[in-house]
Amino acid sequence: MDPKLQLNAIPQLEMGSLDERSVRGREDKSHLHGMDNVTQKSDFICVADEGSFSGVSRVSSVKMLSNGVCRSIKTVVFSNKLNLLMPFGPVAILVHILTSNQGLVFFFSLLGITPLAERLGYATEQLAFYTGATVGGLLNATFGNATELIISIHALRGGMIRVVQQSLLGSILSNMLLVLGCAFFCGGFVFIKKEQVFNKSTAVVNSGLLLMAVMGLLFPAVLHYTHSEVHFGKSELALSRFSSCIMLIAYGAYLYYQLKTQVHQYVPLNEEGSPSPSGESQNADDNDEEPEISKWEAIIWLAVMTAWISFLSEYLVDAIDGASKAWHIPIAFISVILLPIVGNAAEHASAIMFAMKDKLDISLGVAIGSSTQIAMFGIPFCVVFGWIIGCPMDLNFHLFETAVLFITVIVVAFLLQEGTSNYFKGLMLILCYLIVAASFFVHVDPTKDDASLEN
Amino acid sequence: MGPIDERTELDSDEEIPFSTSPAVRKSHAFDCEAVHLGTRRGALNSWIRKQMGFRTLRSIYIVLLTAKINVLLPFGPAAILLHYLTGKHGLVFFFSLLGITPLAERLGYATEQLAFYTGPTVGGLLNATFGNATEMIISIYALQNGMIRVVQQSLLGSILSNMLLVLGCAFFTGGIVHHEKVQLFSKAAALVNSGLLLMAVMGLMFPAVLHFTHTEVHFGKSELALSRFSSCIMLVAYASYLFFQLKSQPNLYGQIGEEGANEEDSENEEAPEITQWEAIGWLAILTSWVSILSGYLVDAIQGASDSLHIPVAFISVILLPIVGNAAEHASAIMFAVKDKLDITLGVAIGSSTQISMFVIPFCVVVGWLMGKPMDLNFQLFETATLFVAVLVVAFMLQEGTSNYFKGLMLILCYLIVAASFFVHVDPANDDD
Repeated sequence: MDPKLQLNAIPQLEMGSLDERSVRGREDKSHLHGMDNVTQKSDFICVADEGSFSGVSRVSSVKMLSNGVCRSIKTVVFSNKLNLLMPFGPVAILVHILTSNQGLVFFFSLLGITPLAERLGYATEQLAFYTGATVGGLLNATFGNATELIISIHALRGGMIRVVQQSLLGSILSNMLLVLGCAFFCGGFVFIKKEQVFNKSTAVVNSGLLLMAVMGLLFPAVLHYTHSEVHFGKSELALSRFSSCIMLIAYGAYLYYQLKTQVHQYVPLNEEGSPSPSGESQNADDNDEEPEISKWEAIIWLAVMTAWISFLSEYLVDAIDGASKAWHIPIAFISVILLPIVGNAAEHASAIMFAMKDKLDISLGVAIGSSTQIAMFGIPFCVVFGWIIGCPMDLNFHLFETAVLFITVIVVAFLLQEGTSNYFKGLMLILCYLIVAASFFVHVDPTKDDASLEN
Repeated sequence: MGPIDERTELDSDEEIPFSTSPAVRKSHAFDCEAVHLGTRRGALNSWIRKQMGFRTLRSIYIVLLTAKINVLLPFGPAAILLHYLTGKHGLVFFFSLLGITPLAERLGYATEQLAFYTGPTVGGLLNATFGNATEMIISIYALQNGMIRVVQQSLLGSILSNMLLVLGCAFFTGGIVHHEKVQLFSKAAALVNSGLLLMAVMGLMFPAVLHFTHTEVHFGKSELALSRFSSCIMLVAYASYLFFQLKSQPNLYGQIGEEGANEEDSENEEAPEITQWEAIGWLAILTSWVSILSGYLVDAIQGASDSLHIPVAFISVILLPIVGNAAEHASAIMFAVKDKLDITLGVAIGSSTQISMFVIPFCVVVGWLMGKPMDLNFQLFETATLFVAVLVVAFMLQEGTSNYFKGLMLILCYLIVAASFFVHVDPANDDD
């Protein structure tokens, strides 16, 4: 790790105190062309020849390290306006320790996680520059919804299975209806004269996958509610676990298929489809974006962000119950509508931005691809994780949620069939989301699950 | 002034309709004559009275006596007589059904005539609002009587009838007449309407499932609040749909606004047959007639169900919509036979969309204003039927082609639905 940092810091060493911007400029240039690195390396060797190697390196390595860290922090933390919300994270922890106002804790941790989620996506995207298209695509596919997964894992460990189910469901609904609807609406408004088109086949494949996921969710629920299991309560869990493995295999096959057959298509998605709406990385160039931080920095930031998110998620999840009582809104509403806003805020912004630039394929990739990812990977992953830690998480999302998901997937699949978009379709999707949100505002789980649910 | 032939009595005091027929020229000539002959005042007064008399007669002739369906008109007064003379609700119901049918058709005719004068935009809006005026009037009456299930079921039946029966008959007859080729229609409009129908089904499903999984926050009340909120959202969606249609496709809407139960063959050059004020007047008269008869119709439902031994559900879902849809049915078939499937689809699916996205939420809001607990919870069986029917129709329309087989499939689906409702009663306890 040290040699790399030293390499990067060489211009600093040679030029003395430098302006931030010019430093960053040099860093960018050095990252873009491998030749520059080689020349830098040779420069360093020349410099090293002049003095004693080890002396110079020991004194300067600490400086280089700190300079590198400062620069890295500046690039990652201070360059994005969304990061104004970052202080809310520590504030949430303070509030949790000092007061017992769960509503405030919940609200502040929500605000605190939002920029972290966005930066996580940014770090993933930066790392993808170095790993190439294939692994980059895989990275995006896995970490794209890391925030939701982390929150879900914490909730699972707390035994809050319904919260997990509802937050994952809400994430799917929010991606399919709200994000896509806003993207279509804003894009349609900006391009009011013509109809925007997108690639039908990708949308149709994703719709098919979503329907398959709905089928995987539907069967355990219906099996349970028709009281037609072999061993009541246990068969349905076994079925869920088996279905989850199948769905994970399906998702793996989908990734393999994507990467094999659409290598070219995946590269721009990889570089732009991940949630990083910051102005710096969007230079209106598609394929020639430069990574802004080095590979190891990206990996470290990935780890740092994940740790922070993990830390805050614990407070978030612990505060859900209290917030629900303090604000007098059902837990279902918090899990389905409020929690996914956190994980999706960045995707939301980037989808809208791409729609307004008339790059609807990327918007669709962000929105529907994220839904597919959660449905075919996130949910089964949580079931398997619950299996491992001994938590009875299953695919039985209860009748109301399953029905909502089913009809939503059908509505969206129909709307996407045509391959065109306009502001009216966007408005329809947004209105559908309002209806869904209203439904969950007046929805509670029955206190006795099996009592009065047979008609 | 001598005896005046009816045909030349195109009025000269109101605006002159824009068809340049010899009748217009004759009336101009007639005016000049009238002014020159005799004293102005006295002659004019009697002339005006005669004009109005003749004009009214002519108007009645055009509106009431020219359509063959108006043979059924006497059944209306007959129903009222029966209601007062006998207590046979079955006959009263049957006669009022027959009596309303021609009135509904004439109402559509008057709307279409008015659309000539108001231009395509307002004409389209008129058609969109009054196109299902009969269903709305019947529903408002039933709401006033507190017969909420009848309202829900009749509106549902109207949607099903439009989507399955009307469309199926149109496809079937069109396919048989044009059986050597496959008829085409515009996929885009069909897909948008299917999407809207699905959104309406979504709006209907959530309150129903919420209620039946007993997962409401306040049992019974949350679901009503959700229904009212969803209705407002659906009305907003319908308004934006209209806005979107009129902004982006003015020609298409104009065409659909002009067609109707009109038997003329040229579409864009049809001449209005009655003046603007006559159209408005007839609109008002027919609406009030339909209202009166609906009152008797709705009152007779329960009695008819008892005396004819068929469930109220069947009456509401299958029989009542036949009344409101008879005219649309005829025109849809006629346009399919003329190979103008786009208009047929506009009539059938457009009407379904209108009812699901406008009339149903409108009834919920009206019920809200009246203080009646009308909600979107159409009970599980009806909601499931609607859902499956919308899916089937949406799939069939995807391709953009039609043939007699598809029409036959839709008609057979409707028969299955009708049979299902023939053996369907609401459970005595609503919460089961």
